[in-house]
Amino acid sequence: MSGANASPIGRSNQQMSGANLSPTMIFKTAIPRRTFLRGIGTTLALPLLDAMTPAMAAPDKPAKRLSIVYIPNGRIMQQWMPKAEGTDFELPLLLQPFAPFRDRLLVVSGLCLNIAKAWPGEEVGVHERPCGAYLTGVHPKWTDGADIQNGISLDQIIAREFGKHTQLASLEVGLDSAGILGACEKGWSCAYVNTLSWRTPTTPTPMENDPRKVFERLFGDAGSTDSAERRSILRRNNSILDSVSEATAGVLRGLGPNDRTKISEYLDSVRDIERRIQIGEQQTSRELPSLERPAGVPATFQEHARLMYDLLVLAFQTDLTRMTTFMVGREKTERTYPEIGVPDGHHPLTHHGWDPQKIEKVVQIEALQSKMFAYYLEKLRSTPDGDGSLLDHSIITYGSGISEGNGHSVVDLPLVLAGGGSGELKGGRHIRYPQNTPLANLQLTLLDKLGIPVENFGDSNGKLDLLAV
Amino acid sequence: MLRTISGWIALLLAGYLPASLQSSNPVAPAASTNRALLDRYCVTCHNERSATAGLMLDKANVENAGEGAAVWEKVVHKLRTGAMPPPGRPRPDTASYNSLITDLETALDRASAANPNPGRPAIHRLNRAEYTNAIRDLLAIDIDGELLLPIDEVNHGFDNIGDALSVTPVLFERYMSTARKIARLEVGEPGSRPFSEKYEVHKFLMQDDRMSEDLPFGSRGGIAIRHHFPSDGEYTIRVLLQRNSRNYIRGLAEPHQLDFRLDGERIQVLTVGGGDELKGKPGPIFSQAAQIGDPISEAYENGGAEAHLEVRFQAKAGTHVAGITFLKKNFVPEGVFRPRMTQFELVQYKGGEPAIDNVVITGPYNAAGLGDTPSRRKILVCRPARIAEEGPCAGKILSTLARRAYRRPVTDKDVRALLSVYEIGRNESGFEAGIRAALERILVGPEFLFRIESDPPNLAPDTAYRISDLELASRLSFFLWSSIPDDPLLNLAESGKLKDPAILSQQVRRMLDDPRSRSLVTNFVAQWLYLRNIHSKTPDPRLFPEFDENLREAFLKETELFVESTLREDQSVLRLLDANYTFLNERLARHYGVPNVYGSHFRRVTLGPEFEARRGLLGHGSLLTVTSYGNRTSVVLRGKWLLENILGAPPPSPPPNVPSLDDSGTAGKPLPLRQLMEQHRKNPACAGCHAAIDPLGFALENFDAVGRWRTADAGTPINASATLPDGTQLDGPSELRNMLLGRPEDFAGVVAERMLTYALGRGLEYYDVPAIRKIVREAAREDYRWSSFILATAKSMPFQMRRSQKP
Repeated sequence: MSGANASPIGRSNQQMSGANLSPTMIFKTAIPRRTFLRGIGTTLALPLLDAMTPAMAAPDKPAKRLSIVYIPNGRIMQQWMPKAEGTDFELPLLLQPFAPFRDRLLVVSGLCLNIAKAWPGEEVGVHERPCGAYLTGVHPKWTDGADIQNGISLDQIIAREFGKHTQLASLEVGLDSAGILGACEKGWSCAYVNTLSWRTPTTPTPMENDPRKVFERLFGDAGSTDSAERRSILRRNNSILDSVSEATAGVLRGLGPNDRTKISEYLDSVRDIERRIQIGEQQTSRELPSLERPAGVPATFQEHARLMYDLLVLAFQTDLTRMTTFMVGREKTERTYPEIGVPDGHHPLTHHGWDPQKIEKVVQIEALQSKMFAYYLEKLRSTPDGDGSLLDHSIITYGSGISEGNGHSVVDLPLVLAGGGSGELKGGRHIRYPQNTPLANLQLTLLDKLGIPVENFGDSNGKLDLLAV
Repeated sequence: MLRTISGWIALLLAGYLPASLQSSNPVAPAASTNRALLDRYCVTCHNERSATAGLMLDKANVENAGEGAAVWEKVVHKLRTGAMPPPGRPRPDTASYNSLITDLETALDRASAANPNPGRPAIHRLNRAEYTNAIRDLLAIDIDGELLLPIDEVNHGFDNIGDALSVTPVLFERYMSTARKIARLEVGEPGSRPFSEKYEVHKFLMQDDRMSEDLPFGSRGGIAIRHHFPSDGEYTIRVLLQRNSRNYIRGLAEPHQLDFRLDGERIQVLTVGGGDELKGKPGPIFSQAAQIGDPISEAYENGGAEAHLEVRFQAKAGTHVAGITFLKKNFVPEGVFRPRMTQFELVQYKGGEPAIDNVVITGPYNAAGLGDTPSRRKILVCRPARIAEEGPCAGKILSTLARRAYRRPVTDKDVRALLSVYEIGRNESGFEAGIRAALERILVGPEFLFRIESDPPNLAPDTAYRISDLELASRLSFFLWSSIPDDPLLNLAESGKLKDPAILSQQVRRMLDDPRSRSLVTNFVAQWLYLRNIHSKTPDPRLFPEFDENLREAFLKETELFVESTLREDQSVLRLLDANYTFLNERLARHYGVPNVYGSHFRRVTLGPEFEARRGLLGHGSLLTVTSYGNRTSVVLRGKWLLENILGAPPPSPPPNVPSLDDSGTAGKPLPLRQLMEQHRKNPACAGCHAAIDPLGFALENFDAVGRWRTADAGTPINASATLPDGTQLDGPSELRNMLLGRPEDFAGVVAERMLTYALGRGLEYYDVPAIRKIVREAAREDYRWSSFILATAKSMPFQMRRSQKP
């Protein structure tokens, strides 16, 4: 996140052993700011080049955000999938809570994760592969050892670009507690289900489940979002850093040239933090909804999810980040929902064997999760952002790497897109794509819409036409 | 550099070199004889034309070895280890050989004494361990450095090498947030909101016995936590129990008592398990995805059983030990004998006894006051009664703190800088907020985070000089304690008395006697012997089902206690190799087959004659596991470890693209290791190095990959015999040990070299070798005791001096 790393992302290493696919990603160089700033007042004649978009966050033009929300163990597709396509589709039970946002809702069906199907010789891993592939479009390596390998995930690619303009490049959160150790299933490392986010093909990014820690990442030491408190902390930090810089200058003077390198490294780090604090100072003027630093992890799913969604909204509202990833549950999560009368573990329930009672319980869980997502959309809609709301300027995806949980099907995945994406998304429709369209095509399209166009992503074979009817 | 000398090594030519070489009677330099020796035996390869290994001995001036020390130290090293001339080539007679070595060493030592080169350690950032200890000594507060700060870079085998320790923005951010946390804990924050701290018990730690010395006798499982309570008030402890892989809570069939204590005093006892809810039809004991029990049992086993496991209590500010454990139920199992369950089975099993997964301590609720904790008492040397007193009191507190933190007298400028930060905090929310802010400033500033040594002004460049007393005080405390100097040491240094050799020795002895010198065991020896690697070893649970976290912790504890005992009793370092005792608890004793050791605490156990093979470090499960793979022993790893860490003759790196061992025999039976290693012997390209490496590992083959004694492997009886390159025959660990003890100066050389590297915080160069030789000589006079090495290191030229900047 230091401003020093301003070069565009290079080639990524996505070779999978044994794979025919060796996708490489070539990034177009972002057009430098100077080129367009001059013309901003009179750009009517200029085409809106996507490559300019990230740099175009001029004060009165709110930036685009992406929020990825992942739901585990698939869905009961019968209650999810609208039968009709186009603009006149009905909202099945699990999509009912999204009714108030219909005009900002795009139901997407027909996408699949064929890349996550077992390769010859592979066993089990029916949750690990789809989860690993969801944001990478790559077949994760079958291993439970230290040589885990996936691809770089969508959110991290976006983070590298968006992070130039925000304090936090990205935020990864979840509700299930941090990792299970070791092997999750025969030969498959738990790393593949512990997170969706991969900074490099071999570096999974952990997902924070403690709302207190998330709060601290966003607001540091503050006990609440109260701006007076945040300002006072900023003042204190500034004075500490000023004093440190001065003292370091004194130390440097007494050192020989070789020793100076180490202290200079240190001084660079101090300056980096100062810069981020300066960015932070711009946000303290905004009044934020009052939220105290959470004490820890709440007891029930609903409280936990609500708190986490609140923090995600805050993160966008303060522009502390523009890229968030939220795993509502880890694949194979055994979470129980006693508060709605479902004491059984989620994952075993999804292996219902077509028992209607078990299916009913799963639907209850999924309906609760939909309800919480609707809460999130409502908060985004009611938070002003520039000339509209956060919902207008964000793209939110809500989906899973598995469709029918009972059989771990990876075709025809449950997926909705919400938000306006600053004009990039047109809602109110259900689009069904042809069979075997890779999910990676969506990720490719999103990158394009967010101003980070690439030639291909994972196993993509083209972009999706999101304006189709 | 010394450790990367490549080339052929033929090792341990006990037959060629006498057991000890003393340069006590130097013969009048027969320089022309030495020249003749070189011309006859060395120059054939090492001449200007062929320049084998970059060495051109035809041009090098042997009469004036001091001038070409870089070259001649290399030569000495090869001669000392008997590596040159290579096997098969003609060699001079023993007397001439030794005489050459002696002459060279004498000349090199003399040159070094005349013209000392102490080198120049890079500026040193405090590493994680040093930071943690410094906080402990400065503020009387224990922080979990491993949680708060990232791991340090390792170089030359240690994580305190100045060159390798850098500061990145990520690290600096952590310093800032850690400083904030510490300041809050230290000074206290009135009106602080409640927050939670979670403590987890490792999933593979078997909770079948008393877990720690902080838990009462008759307890089973659970955890003892040292928790810092930020202020007086109410706190809660919430317990979550261990579950199997299907999320069922374990061990609920029978009721158990869960005991909550604070500093040994019972708060409450709660009953877990055995509820009436299980009277229905609970699910099977090995949980299945498809088969579940009746709804009431399911709700109970999926969380209902632990819903009430929370206690609320009053606590005073400060660090206290919270103990959460079960009361042990004593029983003898009946029926068919059941072997210990493997981890695979355990993950699905929901029987057995309940265990704790994690504990969350939350608070303070209704915070009453900041209380009078030892840490507050330590730094608040005055408390202002009136506003007028605040400024001067702050000045006093901060200058006392800064002197210790910066390890030198404070200047007016230092104090003013701190006071200006104090003012900002004070204007926000009062005196204590001001002190907190200034404390944060101290903890993130360069004066604290770096060990700064300065060339004296007006000194010529590239000159050796004696470092100041204050700089020496820091070097001593970071060497012996991995921490900041204490007041007595600082006072002596400030008054210029540390230069006095008698006072220096006295201080070194005092510091050794101090419990803080334990860092020599946990930081120095643990890294030297690769002991820390035990944490990343994963013995295959199919082959070693009884390996668990309890055993891993026991391994570590045994070696630490053992090494510490030799240090505290100032024994000869040779005892590390052959002491007739070790430290065991019941688990470890069972593992080794030592009878009559009961209970979970560690105690000293004398090893009788039937355990002769176990004596010393080579019999420790820790090192035997560190030098094995997860599924088999490795003679190569063990041989390499011995060569590097005990014999001081590290083998060169293997060539690239060495294929892995072909495991399978022809009849489908796995081949015994000895036969596999035949490939090393048969291929001359391999044999050159492996002839020295493998035999040492073979001698230890009776110890399996987790350190148990065995007499057969895969059906084949163990053959622990070995032939060293010089022809010496060994059989088994005892004979290996005797061979190692027969060359004490080799081991002493390793100890000296490792210790000097650690003490200086830089890699050693050719100009440091005379200092190593001197340390070994001085230690030999004292029977190679620990204190003799340490004193000799503290008195050594590179430790007492530094080289000024080059122009």
